[in-house]
Amino acid sequence: MFLHAHFNKVLFLLLIFLGVTSCVKDVDLNQTKDISLQPKLQTDLLIFDVDENDFIDPETNRLRTVIKDTVRLEFLDDSYIQDDLDKVEFSFKYINTFPQSFDTSIYLLSENDNTQRRIDLKVQPGSQDSPKTTEIIDFVNTDEIDQIKRSIKMVVEITVLPNSEAFEGELQFQSKGLFYFVF
Amino acid sequence: MRVIISILILLFFSGLKAQNKQLLYNVSALPQTLMSNPGANINFDGHIGIPFFSQISLAVGSSGVNMHDIFKTSNNQGINARITSTIQRLTNQDYFMVNEQLEIISLGWRLNKDNYLSAGVYQETDVFAYFPKDPMTLINEGNNDYINVPFDFGDVSFTGEVLNVYHLGLNKKINKKLTLGARLKLYSGIFNVESTDNSGTFTTRDTPNGPNYYGHYATGINVRVNTSGYSSLKDENTTVQEATKDLLKKSFFGGNFGMGIDLGASYRLDENFTVTGSIQDFGVMYQRADVENYLYYGTYETSGLEPLFPEVPAGGKAIPYWDIFEDEVDANLKDETVHESYITWRPLKINTSLQYGFGETVGPCNYLRPMRRRFENIMGIQLFGVMRPRGLKYAFTMFYDRKFSPDLRMKLTYTLDDFSYTNVGLLVSKKIKNFNLYLAADNLFGYFNLAKSQHQALQMGLQFIFIK
Repeated sequence: MFLHAHFNKVLFLLLIFLGVTSCVKDVDLNQTKDISLQPKLQTDLLIFDVDENDFIDPETNRLRTVIKDTVRLEFLDDSYIQDDLDKVEFSFKYINTFPQSFDTSIYLLSENDNTQRRIDLKVQPGSQDSPKTTEIIDFVNTDEIDQIKRSIKMVVEITVLPNSEAFEGELQFQSKGLFYFVF
Repeated sequence: MRVIISILILLFFSGLKAQNKQLLYNVSALPQTLMSNPGANINFDGHIGIPFFSQISLAVGSSGVNMHDIFKTSNNQGINARITSTIQRLTNQDYFMVNEQLEIISLGWRLNKDNYLSAGVYQETDVFAYFPKDPMTLINEGNNDYINVPFDFGDVSFTGEVLNVYHLGLNKKINKKLTLGARLKLYSGIFNVESTDNSGTFTTRDTPNGPNYYGHYATGINVRVNTSGYSSLKDENTTVQEATKDLLKKSFFGGNFGMGIDLGASYRLDENFTVTGSIQDFGVMYQRADVENYLYYGTYETSGLEPLFPEVPAGGKAIPYWDIFEDEVDANLKDETVHESYITWRPLKINTSLQYGFGETVGPCNYLRPMRRRFENIMGIQLFGVMRPRGLKYAFTMFYDRKFSPDLRMKLTYTLDDFSYTNVGLLVSKKIKNFNLYLAADNLFGYFNLAKSQHQALQMGLQFIFIK
């Protein structure tokens, strides 16, 4: 038998076939260094819904024209933010049924209460029948992102601008962040 | 992070093995055929393998993607865009698998004319993972483009095990037509991990009626990862020597034992046609030693943190909204580590074939061995199936088995499976006196460019086979 007689050659050829023809072509494994994940995460931040009662000082029962509160956003300290956050797009929305305007400010503060970023927004007056929506989008680019990385607290400050109308209504607040990561 | 991703991707394409051994099934001259069908027709009277070399079996499989898809050079698209489009193209039914087997001891001898006893020890590694499509999409792209689309954690489903198998089998010729066989297996587990039957979704929903832009819903999360033989390995105080010693000890007396059985039969329908069938690894393992289970479960929804604007005196403390939120999350989405024994089923395999022999040869006359019609040529079809967490995975094979002389045999196969439609394999088995060498490789075309191949399998072995 030809094959029998030439077994070694056959086996050799098979090994050659597997060994020599087996190759990895048209690929560039150096591209691994370019691999990055770039997820874009939408996250709700703060919400509130205040009415005229929230502007009454509980001790004196008198109107406070300014109310503010601080919320720690501890996740800003986490390594995935510190190392991999690239950009953020904040959205803030007020829906106002008070017939008054409000000056509002959102501060991002560091641990030592130094302001890293401030977003001011004048909320237009609305009415019960026709709530007024005022929205702002604040885009934090890569070259400003350290402001966010240095921040740990978000402060919301609302100042009512009294007028002749009765001070009655609701002020709703919505906020979110679209976080761009490069892992 | 980048390093981990790179390693994962390379791992997917480099180390993966599968386990359909279509080239070794029903090859009557090879003892390894008894491992896939203990009831195979065999034509030898004794065998002893060269320890650690009687069967080295490696195979790789990825049902939906190959290295070229990701790392190709002939495309203007960047690698990250290709990864994203690949993740989008794959489904949660795509899978990756690893199977490796190493025969440590293999021997067998004919007890009498009708009975052949075989025994041995082999080590096996088997890893199978469905593509976790939704979690991978969430990690790679985030939720921004998937508002109102649930991410399903049920997509996470994988198993992995490293074990030693001690086995003893009997091949018994019942009559001229029928041969039956059975193999008893004792499993000794070295390592096991499994996470199947997970459930739960994470959804970010648009909420135009408030209270915020979105609502985040983690609904019915129930993810469980069972491990055995792992928790002691991750002990950081263990030295490499201790860990090696521990691993060796575990491979023999791991404390995680199981039992299983292989059953097989061959039946000659007429002069030329033979039908065969077998099941392998119908077995169960009790994972009791060195067990650690990781559980993540619960339901939670949030629309954000809600400040209350209390009157805080100067220097007064603000309400710890974040801590309250974290406590709420922890109370509703639990993360626990427990130590609970569990049971795993070995991946059951089924084989069946129909073959047609022609070109009769005359075998050496021997009263000890059953007389059997022998053919120079055998053609046939085989069907292989292996049970995976979500059902059987099949492979269909057509083969031509040619005996060129008593000492040289080749088997050519064409296999259709989840990996390719062009899988041509070749087995070459050569005897030099009693010494036998075989080499079987499937998907030969894949060797032209491994980067484009989604499946490669290779088996080889050195042993002594005796024919009286």
